[in-house]
Amino acid sequence: MQSESAKMTTAHEAGFRVQYPNSKQRAAKVIALDPASAAIVEEISQKSWNGAAFFTSLAFTGEGNPGAVGGDLKAWLKDLAGRTMDLVAEVEHSDFVVVITTTGADARAVSVIADACALFNKSLVGLIVPGKDDSDAATTESMKYLRPYTRMLVIASGTDYIEAMLTALRA
Amino acid sequence: MLKKEQNDYLCQTGPGTPMGNFFRCYWQPALLSEELPEPDCPPVRVKLLGERLLAFRDSEGKLGLIDEFCAHRGVSLWFGRNEDCGLRCPYHGWKYDVTGQCTEVPSEPTESGYAKKIKLKSYPLIEQGGVLWTYMGPPEQQPPLPQYEFSTVPLNQTFMTKRIQECNWLQAMEGGIDSSHVSFLHRGDLHNDPLFKGAGGNKYNMQDLSPVFEVVESDGGLLIGARRNAEDDQYYWRITPWVMPNYTGVPPRGDHPMHGHFWVPIDDENCWAWSYDYHPTRALTDGEVAAMKDGKGVHVKYVPGTYRPLANKDNDYLMDRAGQKAGRTFSGVEGIGIQDASLQESMGPICDRTKENLVGTDNGIIMARHRLLRAARAFNDKGVQPPGVNPEHHTVRQAALLLKRDVQYKDGAKEALKAKKGVRQTSV
Repeated sequence: MQSESAKMTTAHEAGFRVQYPNSKQRAAKVIALDPASAAIVEEISQKSWNGAAFFTSLAFTGEGNPGAVGGDLKAWLKDLAGRTMDLVAEVEHSDFVVVITTTGADARAVSVIADACALFNKSLVGLIVPGKDDSDAATTESMKYLRPYTRMLVIASGTDYIEAMLTALRA
Repeated sequence: MLKKEQNDYLCQTGPGTPMGNFFRCYWQPALLSEELPEPDCPPVRVKLLGERLLAFRDSEGKLGLIDEFCAHRGVSLWFGRNEDCGLRCPYHGWKYDVTGQCTEVPSEPTESGYAKKIKLKSYPLIEQGGVLWTYMGPPEQQPPLPQYEFSTVPLNQTFMTKRIQECNWLQAMEGGIDSSHVSFLHRGDLHNDPLFKGAGGNKYNMQDLSPVFEVVESDGGLLIGARRNAEDDQYYWRITPWVMPNYTGVPPRGDHPMHGHFWVPIDDENCWAWSYDYHPTRALTDGEVAAMKDGKGVHVKYVPGTYRPLANKDNDYLMDRAGQKAGRTFSGVEGIGIQDASLQESMGPICDRTKENLVGTDNGIIMARHRLLRAARAFNDKGVQPPGVNPEHHTVRQAALLLKRDVQYKDGAKEALKAKKGVRQTSV
């Protein structure tokens, strides 16, 4: 008698796979960490996405007192329309967060985003793409910023990978 | 998630398909040397990349890989007589040499030259490291011979097996670069398997069950690093190389032989999972070889007389629910190779990737697909030579090592990731 596994692994049986969706839309937050990656993020955001939100910079103000420094700092994300959004609230309502930096750029803002991710147990993926200086030393420098905070770090040779990855993640 | 057209592009490797053209840029393992052990031995049927072929070793030991079917009436030459430097069809006596050239058509006068005008398609077949390799692309683009370290060390330092896997090549290969499944599916094997146990690095696997991953592009494909916390401000790194299109290495453990795989398409619904073990600097011990022959490590036990695993879909992979419940295995299936095969075959003959929900730690798989699509399109559209064709790309080694936390492993492990004759692997 044919085994259950033999019967169920044919192409014919594969045709009976349930056709209903097996997942809901996920909220991906894609954040550029430096000006060069902001330009890349802006360009990618023009494509069709499944609810992903794109941010081009991170800024800090004293809560309720824009421009203040020190003490009660609050982090703000700037979206493509130029609006400022509360980082903590954005992360809280996300399913995962992707940060993008270019090699050699100052990516220290990742630590603030990582703190917010840690607060709500959100997964943080880091992506390093070539910048003006794409030497090994510059890559290493970028990696030092991101490595302590990301569960997955990708060092890609081209910006086309960002779109491929976000599509694969249904962002 | 992949779109259907992307999935079809990557999974279809038959003649004339874009991915089929791409695969035909590379030398691929076709048979084990043991399958054609001596001159005039029986020929062997081989199906690769959707083409039915026949391999034989002639009276002078020359190897041939030719169209399986006689040009006369389409009889399978598997029934042929391997004799006097050629393979003779038993139906009407037509005879072919290792290049597929017809040398005799008994019904026609020799002087007529009829035989000279008959030639079966053939591919080069060369022997290296206990493996018979073939190249199925245009002769004028044949690359230099493969230089994978497992196939260039002395034969007493290397051991190769193959098993049929009844699913598309891509879902099998993706298992080889999916480092995050090891902590679940294969848990337990680190302690029990004679080819894994006792390595110093195993303790890091057990102490830190949440590895963090870094994916870096290499000249030939990818390096996928999994890091775990270790002592003295260090990380324990396990680095998996993937060389395009279908070679993967498994990071080593202690002084155990290093292993890895080739995932070779037979047709779109079946592939050969090739599994090697080798040591760069010493002969394999009798105990190691006995364990490999007994199906330990990445190898499997077989249905006698075949390359089909003993535990297969026809017997539900010898599923042991009591063992699963008791924790002897995580999935209820014994053995690393069959644990992988059982789940990959369960996806169906060709995995429907439109229904997947990948997560951040799947970036190794996402990047591999991306690089395959990019390279295959560049080759098919513009003739760009793909990564992994250059033999220098084959001389990458898997590695397991401790590095300071702020070191980029591509730099810190640079020397460890290079195959060097007479130099031991870097392993913990």
